[in-house]
Amino acid sequence: MKAPFNRERLGRELTNLMERTRDRQFRLAVTGLSQAGKTAFLTSLVNQLRHAGLDAQLDLLPAAREGRLLGAQRLPQPDMGVPRFPYDAALSALNANPPCWPDATRGISELRLQLRYRPAQRGWLAPELNHLTLDLFDYPGEWLLDLPMLNHDFDSWCQAQTEHKGVHRQALFTAWQAGVEELDPAAEADETQLTELAAAYADGLKQAKQAGFSDLQPGRFLLPGELDGAPVLQFFPLPDIGLSTEQRQALPETSVYATLAKRFRYYQQHVVKPFYRDHFRRFDRQIVLVDVLGALNAGPERFEDLSRALQQLMHSFDYGQRSLLTRLFSPRIDRLAIAATKADHVTPDQHGNLVRLLEALLAEPLKDLRFADIPVKALSLAAIRATQAREVNQQGQRLTALYGTTLEGEDVLIYPGDVPARLPEEHFWQQQGFDFPHFRPMASSDQALAHIRMDAALDWLLGDKLA
Amino acid sequence: MTDPQTENSNAPKPRPRRHFSLDDSQADNAKHPDIDTETPLRGTRRFDEQTAHQPLETTPSDQKALPEETLSAPRKRRWGLIFSLAGVAALGSAELVSGIPVALEQARWLDAAWQLFGLGLIGFGAVSLLREVMRLKRLKHHDKLREALAELPQRSPRQAMQQADTLRRQLKLSDDDPHWQAFQQASQPHHSSADIMTLLNYHLLAPRDREAQRLISRMSGETAIMVAVSPLTLVDMALVAWRSLAMINRLCRLYGLELSYIGRLKLFRSVLNQMVFAGASELATDAGMDMLSLDVAGRLSARASQGLATGLLSARLGLRAQRLCRPLAFTPEQQPRMADLRQDLWHQIRHLDTQQTPSSAP
Repeated sequence: MKAPFNRERLGRELTNLMERTRDRQFRLAVTGLSQAGKTAFLTSLVNQLRHAGLDAQLDLLPAAREGRLLGAQRLPQPDMGVPRFPYDAALSALNANPPCWPDATRGISELRLQLRYRPAQRGWLAPELNHLTLDLFDYPGEWLLDLPMLNHDFDSWCQAQTEHKGVHRQALFTAWQAGVEELDPAAEADETQLTELAAAYADGLKQAKQAGFSDLQPGRFLLPGELDGAPVLQFFPLPDIGLSTEQRQALPETSVYATLAKRFRYYQQHVVKPFYRDHFRRFDRQIVLVDVLGALNAGPERFEDLSRALQQLMHSFDYGQRSLLTRLFSPRIDRLAIAATKADHVTPDQHGNLVRLLEALLAEPLKDLRFADIPVKALSLAAIRATQAREVNQQGQRLTALYGTTLEGEDVLIYPGDVPARLPEEHFWQQQGFDFPHFRPMASSDQALAHIRMDAALDWLLGDKLA
Repeated sequence: MTDPQTENSNAPKPRPRRHFSLDDSQADNAKHPDIDTETPLRGTRRFDEQTAHQPLETTPSDQKALPEETLSAPRKRRWGLIFSLAGVAALGSAELVSGIPVALEQARWLDAAWQLFGLGLIGFGAVSLLREVMRLKRLKHHDKLREALAELPQRSPRQAMQQADTLRRQLKLSDDDPHWQAFQQASQPHHSSADIMTLLNYHLLAPRDREAQRLISRMSGETAIMVAVSPLTLVDMALVAWRSLAMINRLCRLYGLELSYIGRLKLFRSVLNQMVFAGASELATDAGMDMLSLDVAGRLSARASQGLATGLLSARLGLRAQRLCRPLAFTPEQQPRMADLRQDLWHQIRHLDTQQTPSSAP
């Protein structure tokens, strides 16, 4: 029974290797924390490419503009053990009456897409039609923040967690804080006490998530998946241990400190590492989606929090120039797009500011990328456009406005407010603050989904491969 | 963020959300009293903590530092010249006009004819002068448009769309032209001006580019063939001049913009160079053929190669003219290359060669 499976698998591996050698296979990392719009982006990407030869508005993608892109088809994915990306479910949610956004992702899913196009230049060896295989991958954004944990041991992780000093955030963790302060690291571990404290910590994380914070570790506490209730999820950082390294090493195996450290290591090795190894190592291009408007709505503390989370996150990916060898054996990301999503929630004249704010948010990682000589493009996009840009004539002035339907189902014509080009001062938030409205998707028939700058993003990520 | 006390005074606060209306008026920066005093040597002066201040204003430079504008000779109106010219023309024509009745009365037909002829000359001169002035005006307008189009990526999307409309009119496209329609369909409200420029390039100019390419290849092929078959040096040179100038004019008409004065001069110089080349190569071919005492087929192929060389030069001139005429500059990957044209030319010449050889062989 084993042999045919193996032969099949070998054949598949060989095909993959061949395709990678010819640079016809591509793995795109769609990175974003939860609520950043990953699922919407993937749904729209599949939809646009499916409709590429027909009614999709992809004028900024040269291959589509020149009519060379024939379209895309979903292929059987390489890994049979992973669910397929629920494209049809997402699409039927968007086509429902009233239309609604696709459900939040609760698990890993994969998708393989084959693009067919006519090469721009016809040479002796160039075929008339060419293809490109695109591997896409969706996952809950909560889990993404586990990746930076791989760079920590228990002590340094505790240290890192105590750096969250914001008032609002501290307030959400008071129950856990009170319990953990009484805890003696050297004492014998009491299982019930640890369970209670871990539950309190998980509770704090969930509340923080509700309150709009992003830098929340460990991610499985928020969305445990199949690990619900397992002891591996019963740990938490110990603030201020107050012991030197040697003293800590000397603590007995059954002490609170040693138990928590062991669980942390187990979590690292058996939860985070496989996730990273199986899904995050082999990427060729990356797009980082950031919900800047959501962070602005939530206030300065959450904004800083998001910035810190993204900064940590970017260390988990390999960046560098590609060559044939690295392409085959250790793929690296050689081009990167950073995108402020939900750009349809502000008027077009504010898109420039949105991009500038995004660049301010990612200032530190951008410096590193610049140093590594990785081309980065910042853009504002809306994978699925929910509003229409309008013009209002009022008192002799021509004003831009948005026309759309709010999540509550009310049709509004609204100017949502200015986006600052950089983070405003603290007192501004106290006086005014931001309150960008949320819209629900527009009703769409069988047409390609309306979007903002998906074509520009596709051009940056894939355009050179479709030449 | 780093320096709040200097930034606060002029950084506009983000505007709040507003239903239906938005307010474009910025809070006017308060006028600050001048702090200059006219004392010859000023001592230390400490300002009050509350004094409003703003970033140091650098002197704005209205003039552009473009070499053409700074390097060209200062413009001077030659009033004396204009006065004397106008005076001579006016007085001369008055004299001629007044002379006619006298000449007719005395039946001096030849005098009358001369006077009429003189009047005609003056009329012609005036008309051509006027036409030249109009042309200069149009040229200036075109230069302005070209400048505006070159600065398109820095403009706001609304201005970019206005420029696109100007370009459409310049290209003499109607409102329901399919290319213009396709451009309008492709452009979206969220497109930046750089995106608009890309789309303009693709939808409005790429068809013209293809047309221009065809034109250059055809006309330079014709030049090549004419030079190859013409027996005389002088005829060669004349042919080259005629065909090259015609090509430049047709390219200009195709793009709807007239060449700038400097561009025209540059191109004219290459036309002259090309004429010299055509003449010199004709002489050299003749001398070479005599020295080597080639047979008929050899003579023909030598002529064909001379034609090809001239054709290539003319194609190169065509490409230069295209680059100068085009309202938007080519992006590096769009830039048409000689290699595409060479193939075409060679085919045309070969065609001629194979046609001629059998008829002249017996």
